[in-house]
Amino acid sequence: SLRRQRVEVSIELRKAKKDEQILKRRNISIHVKEENPSLGQDRAYEVSPSLEEIVEAVNGDDAELQLLATQATRRLLSRHKDPPINQIIELGIIPRMVEFLGRADNTALQFEAAWALTNIASGTSVHTRAVVEGGAIPAFISLLSSPHMHISEQSVWALGNIAGDGPLYRDALIARDVIPPLLALVSPATPVGFLRNITWTLSNLCRNKNPCPPLDAVKKILPVLIFLVHHEDKEVVSDSCWAVSYLTDSSNDRIQIVVDTGILPRLVELMGSPDVNVVTPALRAVGNVVTGTDEQTQEAIDAGVLTVLPRLLRHTKPVIQKEAAWTLSNIAAGPCQQIQQIITCGLLPPLVELLSKGDFKAQKEAVWVVANFMTGGTVDQVVELVRSGVLKPLLNLLLAKDSKTILTILETISKLFLAAEKLGETEKLCLLVEELDGLEKIEGLQNHENDMVYRAALDIIEKYFSGEENTDLEPQTGQDGLYDFSVEKQDFNF
Amino acid sequence: MELSDANLQTLTEYLKKTLDPDPAIRRPAEKFLESVEGSQNYPLLLLTLLEKSQENVIKVCASVTFKNYIKRNWRIVEDEPNKICESDRIAIKANIVPLMLSSPEQIQKQLSDAISIIGREDFPQKWPDLLTEMVNRFQSGDFHVINGVLRTAHSLFKRYRHEFKSNELWTEIKLVLDAFALPLTNLFKATIELCSTHANDASALKVLFSSLILIAKLFYSLNFQDLPEFFEDNMETWMTNFHSLLTLDNKLLQTDDEEEAGLLELLKSQICDNAALYAQKYDEEFQPYLPRFVTAIWNLLVTTGQEVKYDLLVSNAIQFLASVCERPHYKHLFEDQNTLTSICEKVVVPNMEFRAADEEAFEDNSEEYIRRDLEGSDIDTRRRAACDLVRGLCKFFEGPVTGIFSGYVNSMLQEYAKNPSVNWKHKDAAIYLVTSLASKAQTQKHGITQANELVNLTEFFVNHIQPDLKSATVNEFPVLKADGIKYIMIFRNQVPKEQLLVSIPLLINHLQAESIVVHTYAAHALERLFTMRGTNNATLITAAEMAPFVEVLLTNLFKALTLPGSSENEYIMKAIMRSFSLLQESIIPYIPSVITQLTQKLLAVSKNPSKPHFNHYMFESICLSIRITCKANPEAVGSFEEALFLVFTEILQNDVQEFIPYVFQVMSLLLEMHKNEIPSSYMALFPHLLQPVLWERTGNIPPLVRLLQAYLERGASTIASAAADKIPGLLGVFQKLIASKANDHQGFYLLNSIIEHMPPESVDQYRKQIFILLFQRLQNSKTTKFIKSFLVFINLYCVRYGALALQEIFDSIQPKMFGMVLEKIIIPEIQKVSGQVEKKICAVGITKILTECPPMMDTEYTKLWIPLLQALIGLFELPEDDTIPDEEHFIDIEDTPGYQTAFSQLAFAGKKEHDPVGQMVNNPQIHLAQSLHKLSTACPGRVLSMLSTSLNAEALQYLQGYLQAASVSLL
Repeated sequence: SLRRQRVEVSIELRKAKKDEQILKRRNISIHVKEENPSLGQDRAYEVSPSLEEIVEAVNGDDAELQLLATQATRRLLSRHKDPPINQIIELGIIPRMVEFLGRADNTALQFEAAWALTNIASGTSVHTRAVVEGGAIPAFISLLSSPHMHISEQSVWALGNIAGDGPLYRDALIARDVIPPLLALVSPATPVGFLRNITWTLSNLCRNKNPCPPLDAVKKILPVLIFLVHHEDKEVVSDSCWAVSYLTDSSNDRIQIVVDTGILPRLVELMGSPDVNVVTPALRAVGNVVTGTDEQTQEAIDAGVLTVLPRLLRHTKPVIQKEAAWTLSNIAAGPCQQIQQIITCGLLPPLVELLSKGDFKAQKEAVWVVANFMTGGTVDQVVELVRSGVLKPLLNLLLAKDSKTILTILETISKLFLAAEKLGETEKLCLLVEELDGLEKIEGLQNHENDMVYRAALDIIEKYFSGEENTDLEPQTGQDGLYDFSVEKQDFNF
Repeated sequence: MELSDANLQTLTEYLKKTLDPDPAIRRPAEKFLESVEGSQNYPLLLLTLLEKSQENVIKVCASVTFKNYIKRNWRIVEDEPNKICESDRIAIKANIVPLMLSSPEQIQKQLSDAISIIGREDFPQKWPDLLTEMVNRFQSGDFHVINGVLRTAHSLFKRYRHEFKSNELWTEIKLVLDAFALPLTNLFKATIELCSTHANDASALKVLFSSLILIAKLFYSLNFQDLPEFFEDNMETWMTNFHSLLTLDNKLLQTDDEEEAGLLELLKSQICDNAALYAQKYDEEFQPYLPRFVTAIWNLLVTTGQEVKYDLLVSNAIQFLASVCERPHYKHLFEDQNTLTSICEKVVVPNMEFRAADEEAFEDNSEEYIRRDLEGSDIDTRRRAACDLVRGLCKFFEGPVTGIFSGYVNSMLQEYAKNPSVNWKHKDAAIYLVTSLASKAQTQKHGITQANELVNLTEFFVNHIQPDLKSATVNEFPVLKADGIKYIMIFRNQVPKEQLLVSIPLLINHLQAESIVVHTYAAHALERLFTMRGTNNATLITAAEMAPFVEVLLTNLFKALTLPGSSENEYIMKAIMRSFSLLQESIIPYIPSVITQLTQKLLAVSKNPSKPHFNHYMFESICLSIRITCKANPEAVGSFEEALFLVFTEILQNDVQEFIPYVFQVMSLLLEMHKNEIPSSYMALFPHLLQPVLWERTGNIPPLVRLLQAYLERGASTIASAAADKIPGLLGVFQKLIASKANDHQGFYLLNSIIEHMPPESVDQYRKQIFILLFQRLQNSKTTKFIKSFLVFINLYCVRYGALALQEIFDSIQPKMFGMVLEKIIIPEIQKVSGQVEKKICAVGITKILTECPPMMDTEYTKLWIPLLQALIGLFELPEDDTIPDEEHFIDIEDTPGYQTAFSQLAFAGKKEHDPVGQMVNNPQIHLAQSLHKLSTACPGRVLSMLSTSLNAEALQYLQGYLQAASVSLL
């Protein structure tokens, strides 16, 4: 198939993408009223206890000192700049903090410990591992059912951080049956803030590949996600779309499970949202669906994806342009009926526009749209594409500073020539390519440093602007110096 | 080979000998070195020599030899022996970096190249410590060493600029970034600081700036594939420093050389490239810095002088601005009226000025000047860049920009008017400005195709262009004359016809100008005007309108060919050709003189043909002379033969390859003019035309086929009687052509002529062979083109020899062959046939198969009768091909000798389309109806019953139409 999955190169030179959802979060907000009556003496700690004092208090038996030390730890971990996560881990107090999670008799201590552990788990993988190895997973899962909402909410958050670390801990959580108590927290009455946390944690449970989350877990989560994508809160909608986008960034049978829920029309609707935080994951989710089979792609088309794409191809944010073009490229990789729908829905003008003045990342994807279109389209459709003015910006991109893009364009031009041959319009195309300054550029590429680029350019020049090809019927020269007219008979079967 | 003094001595001797100018000494020494290079220690001996030899020339020679040795041998090719032993490889890698760094520059460059060749194979896996070794040297503080490292790094990393994204490549880049990016950044900062510490030390600055150039190049390579995290985080450092380097100037770095770019220019050029890379690929991240760069680059332009050494920098810088100002989200940077004015004033106008270097080119290197100015091969020039900037700006600011420039144009014209002989360059700039402002789109074929509506082109033409051209002195202010003529040329579609007519005598007059540029432009402008179309697709300028000027036009054109520097001027020759074509019979009175001048020219240039376009138009002009004259007086052909054959013979005897295809075409034209039997002079040449050596040159094939066809048309019976022994050779040519996918259609042209014109008995014995050959091609390598030609041929054969003969010969090759060809080729493919005559041949042939071939009625072939009829009706009812009107005058000849350098078809040697069935059948549908009628009379009832049971309804309806039109009915 011509369809291109989301990731082609596993190694990145770029900064981690800014448009992606956050994997782990530290709780630095004044999350819950601190002025808990039991903490009245808080103010006495104008000066924080030393680390030694913390260790001593945490390991000691005095419940009050335990609370104060745990709270001090949480404060250290919640400060805005450079929280001393490593130092706290080195104190070796994590197992003790995990123990505090079980102190149902002391909710304040439970809460402070949960918060502190949440923030430790928000760090690097090493940090998260310290929390998990301290035995926090079962403790947090059982706290999900705590009667105190602020404690169960903090636990949701901590579990989100653990799940966000990667497939290993994600599956460890799932194996410990995190899903049923987590889903039980979702109800129409759940406060929005809490629901946001739950949604985010759920999205981390759906996230990451190699392997992707277990099938039965996905099946349990999906119905709730369907509920959440219809919520009125933008953040909840955004994170639930992210979750769906992770579930669809997978094999075709996984895509099918999502498609079967009937969520596509809602996702397409959200692609048209004015909020870029909603558009981004919704577009990604649908973009993933159209990497699937022709039937799955057709479902997305039937849900109306082609009617919202023109706006997204013209979006002000380059990432959205790029993602929209990538989506379109995979639809263009489909059968010619789907290509026809691309034409009918008026996608060619915005495509040409993008190709001529979009952001470079988006232009690269737009080149793929054209490439796939030329490969799968009928001769008539290809003619239509050329009529829409695609050739000029396409040929201009032969000057792009990217060898792969140049090669794709050259291959596309070769395909176009094949179509022109079928129509007997080769000469016309040669002229057109020349008029649009394309020939000059293709000739220039014969000096390109990249071997494949140079060969592709040479190939076009040789095939369509000169060229000679021999069959095996060449005559010998006879005794009179002239060509010998002779041939061996073979059996014919046309 | 041991690492011994004796071996070092031997090697020194041989290396010395490889430098000897005498090949008798040099060659054996080179052979010897080649023979020992497989020995162990050989490369180490070379390294020792390049380090320790007493003689500098041996050191250098050893380093070059070493690099070439590495280039040839280092790569390990699968399934081939390892050409360098492992211990040598290890030793080389261990020593080469320090050795390179401690060597003098000349040797350092060779070793640096060698390192990058080795690096390409071994880095990073098999040479893990290379990077650290290099980076450590940054600390040395010795810029000779540092530049060595940088140069090596540059040759190692520059491939990132062109290779495809891949895991392997990106892993390597990541590794390089991790080890290299930070030290490079620190080095960059340190070097810039050193530049200010050593601001007064010229020699130190030179070294430091060489480093900066290399650092800027490395930046380009490392940032090419994608924007690395490190560089995004450190964009501030890099861009701030790049920015300040752009604005830096230091007298000590200025060079006296006017031509060669200095270090400062090279550095700034590279920085422009770096900024352009970021602007193109990482626009989102670069946006905050871009405005600063726009300002800096624009200031740079304002302050940079007119010298040639700045050209690349200036055109790079302008192109950067041009590419940015077209983008919608940077529009605001240019929007302000003051900004626009200042860009127009200080960037555009100065770079449009006619410089001393341009003046020099205009006078002394006219050909190059014309090429740049007329044909747009001016991509890197300042004027072109300035012109692109104007176009870019006009995208959003057409009104204001036009306004600003109008003011400029007026004041420049006023300056000129005050004192033309001193200020003529002001007018030149004004004209150039108007031109670039007004032209929005342009093609070679039509001149300007889209113009700025805010500029009144006709008014400018009448007030400022015509007066110059009307001046009595054609040699005064040649640059302005050339500008004026060019103006007419490119705005010919915008200026009204009356004005063009007024210009024609002026242009003719300027054919006499001494300046090559001026008379060339005059010729070119006339030629372009003569190709313009008016109403009814006729020429805009008519022969009648030209009548008063015929004599002076022809006289001046031929005289222009005698002006110094223009003896093979292609523009003039093309104007001659176009004038002939336009003027037609009004040139006849001048033909005797014209043909004499043309043959003299032909004779002269055939000694050393060097101007393909000129030659092409010369032959076109000869053809036109022949056609126009012989059309009025066919007897005149003899006098042309008399005038031309002597030169032609010389060309053929001397094997002037460039001209032979043309000679064949002119000969074809002449031969076709003969009404009677082929003259004996032509027959004597016939055997020579079959010589394989002629057919091996692709350029000869089309004209030779054409010539052989003319022979067959005029002299088939003479060939059959007087040259029967040459028939196998003739068919051999056919076989040669049919073997090639590119030339098979030419083979069919020849075969068709043979079948059509040769007496049947003369080719009897070869017929079966011919078909076997065709079937073989059909079976093994068929193409659409081949099938189309094949279908036309077998139908032509059928017309000529009868359907039964066709069936018999097919079935004699292989049983049931005829049915197979019908079923698999003719029926499914017949719709592909294109061309009126071709379709007609096929229609008549198939009608014969349907109605004059008994086996179609009474063997198993009968089942194919209806499908064949259906296919034939399909052929009739296909939408008509748009026939191309006879407008050969307009055929654009300029591109013909481009890619197919080998063959240049003469448009004016073309022949009329030939219809071999024309006399026999006028209307093929009626012919079908009549033939079916005849068949149904012979076997009443059968045709009707086949039709009514199997022919589809639509086809039947068409068929009934044919029967009605023919007023026949079936029995």
